[in-house]
Amino acid sequence: MARYFFIQSQDPFTEVRTATQLDLARRLTEAGNEVTLLLVQNGVSPARQGAHSDSFDALCNSEVRLLADRFSLQMREITSAQLKPGITEADVDIVIDAMLAGDKVIWN
Amino acid sequence: MNETRTLTFAFMDPPFESERTVTFFRLLDAALARNTNVRVFAYEGAVAQAFALQAPHGNGVHGRDTEEEAHPLTKDWIAALQRTAASKGLNFEWINCGLCVDERGVNEVIPGCGRGGPADLWRFASEAFNTLTIGTR
Repeated sequence: MARYFFIQSQDPFTEVRTATQLDLARRLTEAGNEVTLLLVQNGVSPARQGAHSDSFDALCNSEVRLLADRFSLQMREITSAQLKPGITEADVDIVIDAMLAGDKVIWN
Repeated sequence: MNETRTLTFAFMDPPFESERTVTFFRLLDAALARNTNVRVFAYEGAVAQAFALQAPHGNGVHGRDTEEEAHPLTKDWIAALQRTAASKGLNFEWINCGLCVDERGVNEVIPGCGRGGPADLWRFASEAFNTLTIGTR
C-alpha cells in the first residue's frame, strides 16, 4: 500500500481535466492505497455546500481524506460551516509533513 | 540524532501572474518552519522570480504612491526566505535554468541565487528526501 497526497489547485468548474484527477484519487483508494487530497486555490470551490460536481461529490463518498486549505477558504470567504461533510480545514504545513513522511506528493 | 532533511521543489510559473506563486512560497516557508533544508529549481517563467531589477510601483488609479501600494516583489520573498534559513542554520538553495534565463534576459538575480541546468534538478531530486514538482497545468 502506498500513500498519495494530492494538492488539488484545479477545480471541476473551469478545468475539464479535474474530473479525471479526482477520479484517479478515488480509484487509488479503491485499489487499497491511502490517499489524502488537499484543496487549494480555486480547488476549494466544489467543497462549498450547494456546489454541485459529480466527480467531487463521488470523492466525498469515498475513502479519500479531504482537506481544504484554510488560507484559500478565507480568500474566498468560505467558512468551515459552509463546507460539505467530511472536509476538514488544514494549513499547507501538512504538505511538508506528507513530504517528510515519504508520501508521493502530486500537484494537480 | 536527528538529521536535517532536504526537500526539493521545481517551479515554472513567472512572478505576478498566478496564485500558484503565492502557494509555492507558502510551501517554502512551511518547509523552513519544519526545519528542513530547501532546494529550488526554477525553470521557464519562474527564473524571473529572483530577477534583481524587479521594482515596486504606485497605483495611479487608486491614488496610491509606491510606499502606500506596497507592491510585493518575489525577489524580496526569496531574500526573506534566505534570511529565515540562515537564522535557523538551514540551507536554502535556488538554481535558475540557464537557458530559460537567457531566453528571457533576466540574468541579474539577487545574491544567493545561481544558474544551472536540468542536471541540477536531477541532482537536487536524487539527493532530496522528497521532491514536489508544481506544474503550470
